[in-house]
Amino acid sequence: MSEKALLNLTNVSKAFAGVQALDRVSIEIRPGEVVGLVGENGAGKSTLIRILAGVYRPDSGTLALEGKPLVLASPREANLQGIGIVFQEQSLLPNLTVAENIYLGQEKEFSRWGVISWSALHTAAKRQLEKVQLNIDPAARTAHLTFAERQMVELAKALALEERTERHLVILLDEPTSVLEQREIDILFERVRALRSRASFVFVSHRLDEVLQISDRVYVMKDGKVVAEMPAGETSVPELHRLMVGRELHAEYYREARQQAPAANVAMQADGLTVEGAYRQVDFTLREGEILGIAGVIGSGREELTRTLFGFRPHSAGKLTVAGKKVRLTSPDQAAALGIGYIPRERRTEGLVLTLPIVPNITLASLGTVMKAGAIQGAKERRLAESWVEKLRVRTPGVDALCLNLSGGNQQKVVLSKWMNARSKILIFDHPTRGLDVGAKEEVYDMMRTLSEQGIAIVLTADTLEETIGLSHSIIVMRDGEVTARFDASPGKKPVQVDLIRHMV
Amino acid sequence: MERPPWRGLGHSAVLPRPRDYGATGTGRGLGEMTTLKKNYREQIRALAPVLVLAGLVLGIGALRPGFLNWDSLIVTVANTAILFILAAGSTFVVMLGSIDLSIQAICSFASVIVAVMLPGYGYAAIPVAVAMGLVTGTISGLFHVWLKIPSFIVTLATSGLLVSAALLLSHERAISIDEAGRAHLTWVNGEFLRLPNVIWVAALIAVFGIWSQKYTAFGRYSIAIGAGEPATWASGVRVNRYKVIAFAVSGALAALAGVLMAGREGSGSPTLADQLLLPAIAAVIVGGTAITGGAGGIGRTAVGALIITIVRVGMTFIGVNIFAQQIVFGLVLVLAVALTIDRTKIVIVK
Repeated sequence: MSEKALLNLTNVSKAFAGVQALDRVSIEIRPGEVVGLVGENGAGKSTLIRILAGVYRPDSGTLALEGKPLVLASPREANLQGIGIVFQEQSLLPNLTVAENIYLGQEKEFSRWGVISWSALHTAAKRQLEKVQLNIDPAARTAHLTFAERQMVELAKALALEERTERHLVILLDEPTSVLEQREIDILFERVRALRSRASFVFVSHRLDEVLQISDRVYVMKDGKVVAEMPAGETSVPELHRLMVGRELHAEYYREARQQAPAANVAMQADGLTVEGAYRQVDFTLREGEILGIAGVIGSGREELTRTLFGFRPHSAGKLTVAGKKVRLTSPDQAAALGIGYIPRERRTEGLVLTLPIVPNITLASLGTVMKAGAIQGAKERRLAESWVEKLRVRTPGVDALCLNLSGGNQQKVVLSKWMNARSKILIFDHPTRGLDVGAKEEVYDMMRTLSEQGIAIVLTADTLEETIGLSHSIIVMRDGEVTARFDASPGKKPVQVDLIRHMV
Repeated sequence: MERPPWRGLGHSAVLPRPRDYGATGTGRGLGEMTTLKKNYREQIRALAPVLVLAGLVLGIGALRPGFLNWDSLIVTVANTAILFILAAGSTFVVMLGSIDLSIQAICSFASVIVAVMLPGYGYAAIPVAVAMGLVTGTISGLFHVWLKIPSFIVTLATSGLLVSAALLLSHERAISIDEAGRAHLTWVNGEFLRLPNVIWVAALIAVFGIWSQKYTAFGRYSIAIGAGEPATWASGVRVNRYKVIAFAVSGALAALAGVLMAGREGSGSPTLADQLLLPAIAAVIVGGTAITGGAGGIGRTAVGALIITIVRVGMTFIGVNIFAQQIVFGLVLVLAVALTIDRTKIVIVK
């Protein structure tokens, strides 16, 4: 190591509910350096950033600042040590002014006898805004700023830490470019370069070309480990990509042998489907037994599209056809009545009523199947739940166990049982393997194949491209709210990730 | 069979087969343990109201042995009946995680309707009064779900509206029901099989309430909405419809309580049930229905209502001023919520 490190992480590990998010990770950040951090979803980037920001504490391993051991018990302590963060989901409070946001929690410095001197606060805020060359009124309400302006205010807020520490700052940029326009990205990068005399940056992004453009050095993470570290000048997008994925696709992992050609019958069709401000002119045809993967980064509109298909976010233009009937879904009950089921990303809030046992959760979407003359038949309901638990091999002490006490994989099986019991013909899988361990993931893949063989049509938004490609029959790629490419993903003809990425970023 | 060179999970280098994973993972063993611990704690929590009730009965019985004879106990139960009916309706609302603050106003207004209408219209006054409660509750429910106004605000507003309506209709006076009118209400004070009829009415409501909770879609969805509205909504349940039904039931039962009160008192008054809101909500909560929704039931409310009545009887025995009793109900309510609420699940309270 040529230069003395500013911040060191050594052998840091962190696990969540049995899933190893970080496995003995060591990185160092040198003064005035921009360090790129890349990896797939779930590789551990966000966990690492949150440990640096004091949000999480490592299970083991050490942090050191200028060689001295460092324990960060809270984001506030990280701030006091000169570590600031610009979050992916912006953290500014929209109902406060720019100046109030920049100095949130530090009003004391500007107050006498508990009364804030607004002129002093605004002058100080102006000084911070100048650092990022943002010419806006510090008294403006944050809600009135553009997204890019708010991002700059976040950066200014992080830079304000300068006044609280003698040290060089470390600023963590967590996917700051995912929703910015190219022009805005250029401005951000220019500012980052100009500020290197005062701060080091850790830059996390999905966009590999940007990482190479701005970083001095790059760490590649995969499955909770750092698998490579190299100067940005000595690597390339394809190489980074190969390191991130780390292996060839395993056809068997995604049960590709079980992938059959879909039926001819169309289950769902979209023509020019549009939700104002989210996505526009989306066309697709989903056949019975087909798995349609939707690929795209945050802000591509794919999440909103998924929500439209289950009635959470009705489309504002275009046509949606379900089983040959033109529909506009304005609430989930309409979708469910048409035989659509939804396996949500937020399994614990939208998937299950956690504090209720397995039985009522399984029949929640189809209580009618166990009712006779207006009354629920308790014994029949129980038998039905038991048969699903057995069929899907839900591991539980019994059907009266609260869903709260099941592991993530078993919770997902209960969610699936719910829709299978409702005899859904179309299933929307919204990040179905999020937070699951490998074994549970494979079981989900198995179930999806089984459903597909039974003629169930599936729309999939997956956590990784690998999953999207491995599972889907066909794939649409979205960028900035539009479909940019379509791929056939029949076995043997599967596209590779770079093909998709080219149309995603 | 070749396996992908996936990351080691820490505890085993060999990837567990899908079928084995539950056995090797932390999920099951831990789950069972927490289930048992949780069940044990929840059983105590479920039993607590019954134990408190038994303790109170025996305690007062020790102070006043006369309290424990059959007739005296029956009188106590009969005195509980109206409070129970009032509380029973709002139990469904509380189970949803909402609250109905208009029940005492509906109850009073219903008594005024009965008193005003009985002389001219006879028995027709009773369904009109109950229908008023049903419609009022429905309207509160609709405003609550359509305009997304918190239930306590909507029902507070409804309550104000009804209080004024009752005052106007009654010309700000208690209206005593004449002999001819009372003839239509003698059934309220009558007996059947040596038990006062109000007890039979309350028992009927309790049985039907418990049944509907267990066996109807409305009962099932009420619990599900209270325990996890997003998941219930995302399962295709028409959440709004069931919320409105809960408010309608609450209004109808409050009105029925008003009819019964008019029969017992022989008069209708715009302030008849003014002192009953606090005890009714206390009865729901003391019985063990969670104020945050998702747990509880009519059976529990019956126990809660008995507790409240016996506390009232006890206070009278001890000689607590009748006007000071609301202080005790207020304290009991706060205490019951404090003891039953599960703070680990609640991040922010507004």
